[in-house]
Amino acid sequence: MDLTAKIKNVLNVETIKLELIKTAFGKPDVYLAKIDPRVLIFWYLVISLLPWFTFNNTILITIIIYTAFLAVVSRVSPLILSLLGIGIITELFTILFFSAIFGDGSFEAVMPLLTLSMKIFIMSIASVSVFASMSPEKLSDGLLSIGLPAQFSFSISYAYRMLPILIDEYHQIFQSFRLRGKTPENHGFLKWRMLYYYIKVFVKSFYPLMLNVAKRTRLTVEALEVRGFSYSLHNPEAKKQKLAYLKLRKKDYLFIVSQLAIILLILWFGTQFPS
Amino acid sequence: MVSVNQPIIEVKDVHYQYPGAEDPVLKGANLTINKGDFLAIIGGNGSGKSTICKTINGLIPHYFSGDYQGEVRVKGKSVKELSVSVLSHLVGYVYQDFENQLMKLTVFEDVAFSPLNFGFPDYKERAMHALELLGITHLKDQTVWELSGGQKHLTALAGALALDPEVLIIDEPVAQLDPQHATEIYDKLKYLNESLGKTIITIEHHTEFIANYCKQVALIEDGQVKWHEDVRTGLLKITERHGAKIYPPQVTQAAMLLNDYRTKDELPITVQEAVTYFKDYYFYPDSNRHKPNLRPTSSAILSVNNLRYEVKTLNKQRKTILDIPEMTLYEGDRVAIVGNNGAGKTTLMKSLAGIIRPQAGEITIGDINVLKTSVEKLSSHISYIYQNPEEMFIQDTIKNDITYFGKVRNLEQTELYEQIAESLNMRHLFPLDGRLLSGGQQRRSSVAIGLAMLPTIMMLDEPTASLDIGHRKQLVDILHSIRDRIKTVVIATHDMQLVAEWATRVIVMEHGKVIFDGTPKLLFDRVEIWKQAGLKLPQIAELSLALNIQSTLSVDEFVACVKEVSVNGFNG
Repeated sequence: MDLTAKIKNVLNVETIKLELIKTAFGKPDVYLAKIDPRVLIFWYLVISLLPWFTFNNTILITIIIYTAFLAVVSRVSPLILSLLGIGIITELFTILFFSAIFGDGSFEAVMPLLTLSMKIFIMSIASVSVFASMSPEKLSDGLLSIGLPAQFSFSISYAYRMLPILIDEYHQIFQSFRLRGKTPENHGFLKWRMLYYYIKVFVKSFYPLMLNVAKRTRLTVEALEVRGFSYSLHNPEAKKQKLAYLKLRKKDYLFIVSQLAIILLILWFGTQFPS
Repeated sequence: MVSVNQPIIEVKDVHYQYPGAEDPVLKGANLTINKGDFLAIIGGNGSGKSTICKTINGLIPHYFSGDYQGEVRVKGKSVKELSVSVLSHLVGYVYQDFENQLMKLTVFEDVAFSPLNFGFPDYKERAMHALELLGITHLKDQTVWELSGGQKHLTALAGALALDPEVLIIDEPVAQLDPQHATEIYDKLKYLNESLGKTIITIEHHTEFIANYCKQVALIEDGQVKWHEDVRTGLLKITERHGAKIYPPQVTQAAMLLNDYRTKDELPITVQEAVTYFKDYYFYPDSNRHKPNLRPTSSAILSVNNLRYEVKTLNKQRKTILDIPEMTLYEGDRVAIVGNNGAGKTTLMKSLAGIIRPQAGEITIGDINVLKTSVEKLSSHISYIYQNPEEMFIQDTIKNDITYFGKVRNLEQTELYEQIAESLNMRHLFPLDGRLLSGGQQRRSSVAIGLAMLPTIMMLDEPTASLDIGHRKQLVDILHSIRDRIKTVVIATHDMQLVAEWATRVIVMEHGKVIFDGTPKLLFDRVEIWKQAGLKLPQIAELSLALNIQSTLSVDEFVACVKEVSVNGFNG
């Protein structure tokens, strides 16, 4: 099997859908999944904001190691991790490339840029480990309970419900374009004409998708009305029932204490060996 | 258990016009439905069937503005004075596109959605109870994506049942389901009606289902309820109006054609009744039952060798979707691929069109190796018409959609487009956006798009799904008329009547394997095959089987088989 075939095998619609389903199910046996969603959201805010108050690279690197460890423990899907990896590698490459060109051969700009990248990286990997281990339902309930509007929290769980359908539909429309389309006779240098053709189809396919979705939405809104969603927006009892299962338990307090200890330890470590 | 003749729904002289529409949909509709009724509402596409149901659950006038007059009462209370949410406790609604009604990720969450929105402390018990009523508690933790069409429909039904409404409205349950699942849904509805006393209203085209399950029928035409009768009288009354685009059940049609002396009330409407009814008839002896499977002498056009397609499942196992050792399609074949949802029909057709690439095997059309050729190149040989026509509308007008294939190839085909417009009677649709058309028009347009590609082989996925009888007939005519343009036509369908009327060859699939390949007649004789594949025969074929005569494919054929009527007991 050649490389393109291998890539096709991994990056096909079915695989992406499977990954989504796995994410949506959450991972009930993972440690983070057992923690109350409100605690996790708070933890996420702390760990992703903290780096912005420091320029100490030791602290940043330790936090990266720690969050990466959490991502591994939460069994984040390899697809997401590799996408993240590709992002980092291209970013490092761009940083080196541009500082080489504009820095007249000196790499002075690299370190500050790397510090910035690390801060962003911490945010991404922390969100991946937190949000991938939480089921969308739990996340949406967590957001609702910390006071976000019900429309917003519902839209998160609804997006997960709709995403596979949208992917499927997009795929069908894409195929429709190809079924009636025509690839360029002359492939061009490095097949650039082919690439251009596919990019064009890729972009064009979004328009019919948007129109189809707009049409479908009418029915969805109607069904939401029938199923009492708009009623629940003004009904405090509904919210109370919905969130009744969210309770802080012993393991949540343990989590808070242990995380606090770990963060303090990292900060202390950073001040001992600053860089 | 239910006191009869106690009206639960009264629709009185309702007029309604959708905002922005040119004509009113309802023009003085009157309908009274009693507690415990099982009513089928029939009528052509666009006659106002769904609209009248929406006046009952309050979407009209509360959610849709527009021009509304008249009065609807549910349990004696005026719909105008109740909100949609209060009404949803009285009237449950299952849409034709029930997928859009499922809001949550897992079955249990979805069924609990409504009771939770209304803040019932016992919402979990209510959801569990609804699941138990329909016998789907085992699905409770599955995600909605994993369900089959029938299971999704049951989930939507459970979601409506969770509020324990007295009335259930189900919009065209058979349209999107295979016959086995449709039967299952109707069995549950019957249980809800008979054992729990729920009042059930279905919108339905299929008179066979109405005959087997419903108690009353109402015909809606032109925004009015033309009549509302008990099921027997109603089904026999259908023929009186040819414009209704609805036909009585096949066995009734046969009896009507054959007799003019018995009283009308005795005509059969179900197969069971027909068996008794026709027991005094003599039929011509079975002349061609064991005829060999006829192979056309014409040349092979497409051949398949050792085709295998597998997909990964959630738990990382591999599942075989397609496993076909050998198959050949010949010129002039009219092939119907049948089998339940998930049997591999669509996958097979998509593989033939090059959209799906199976891991192993060989498909050849003439000297083209399908698995090694791009979709763009294949499309002038083999075209595939999607089940959902909306996914084929990639341009802003039907005309541009039809000419797209020719345009990118710089083909001069103006004459062809003219012919298509003429023969499919769709010139007036050319300047419109496909998404805004009705179901029947969309289907015609999708066939036109396929025809404009001048393929050798044309494949259609479920072309008759959700079409009313009138549009269905139109489509069958189109299928017959394209015979001289296209060498081989392949259809995947649940519609066994279409198979009987149109196909020369049937391929029955089950779990990705071909379990039968032969003529429709031969298939209808092989009880074990269609039982195994979960097929539902057309009434008339079922009847001929039960009477133990040669299998007949159409009402006319059945009538032609009749030799004489024994006259004992009746004066001839």
